[in-house]
Amino acid sequence: MVFTLSLGDFYGIDSIVEFLIILVSLIIAYQSNKIYNLIKDKTYRFFSFAFLAIAISFVFKILSNLTIMYRMIIEKANFIFVIWHQFQYMQLINFLGFIFYKTFNIIGFLILFFIITKTKDKEKIFLFIYFSIIAIVLSIYFDFIFHITLVWILLFLTSHFYENHKNHRTTNTLLVFIAFLLMLISHSSFIFEAINPWFYLIGEILLLIGFFCLLINQIKLKRQSKDKNRNKNNYEKTNKIRGNKRLVSGFAKK
Amino acid sequence: MKKRTRLEVIRDLLVVLQRNKQVKITHLIYKANLSNNSIKPYINYLLKNNLAEQVIVDEKRMFKITPHGNGFLEEFNKIKIFSESYGL
Repeated sequence: MVFTLSLGDFYGIDSIVEFLIILVSLIIAYQSNKIYNLIKDKTYRFFSFAFLAIAISFVFKILSNLTIMYRMIIEKANFIFVIWHQFQYMQLINFLGFIFYKTFNIIGFLILFFIITKTKDKEKIFLFIYFSIIAIVLSIYFDFIFHITLVWILLFLTSHFYENHKNHRTTNTLLVFIAFLLMLISHSSFIFEAINPWFYLIGEILLLIGFFCLLINQIKLKRQSKDKNRNKNNYEKTNKIRGNKRLVSGFAKK
Repeated sequence: MKKRTRLEVIRDLLVVLQRNKQVKITHLIYKANLSNNSIKPYINYLLKNNLAEQVIVDEKRMFKITPHGNGFLEEFNKIKIFSESYGL
């Protein structure tokens, strides 16, 4: 009997992608929480929760991809039978992992949706949560329902980020818009993963590029704020020097 | 002229407080270009979030910036770009 540790259908490539997504989500969540600590605006706290939920969801996805198989080789009259078996508790981990992945992923994007649409009515929030729970339960039998639900949420988020880009016209807003557009296309691709596993791989790659855009935005944000602070300091320094020169020349005249 | 965002008004108020040790409310209204009514929620926000504090000097209400407020000004650009890029 031989034991093998497997990382899902794509030999762990998808798990690496998900690990990178977790990192990016955690960076954004940390950044947003830092802003909340400074200005105590609840929007930033919820924004941080949203990305934290997305990061947690992908942790569960990686866990559900981890499966330990055992291989039994039976030799009978020169014929070799190889039987692959999965431990029963592994199947349970796989099942629960996917349920938690879907739950946290929908929670994350739903919080983002509430922030962007500025939904504060408890009735509306409970209604959306109720429909999301139904979508998660149904997705146990029909996986595509989960992706269709996410596509709907992402459709609203993408349109918001497009409007935001139209209003501001900066590289940062463009990057965020592209990121969410790619997430939308990737989840649209996941709908068809049952037909062909390549749809799953394409979706994963698009999802990675999407989160990579968000990472570039975070890096740019850090650089831009540093540059602006440097420019401001230089401006203040030159103003001080000019002021001192004027004072000196004023005294000289007197 | 482009209307200032809420964050920009808070920044302007804190800059006035940073440049002067203690500031009267009338001075704040004048320097930050706000009206008597519109400044009230901003002042409440600054006090509630420990960005500024109130001191009484010669029976006059004055305001001064806190270390937390100074931290806000240093991080302002980052906050502004972050909120702008996500449309928050």
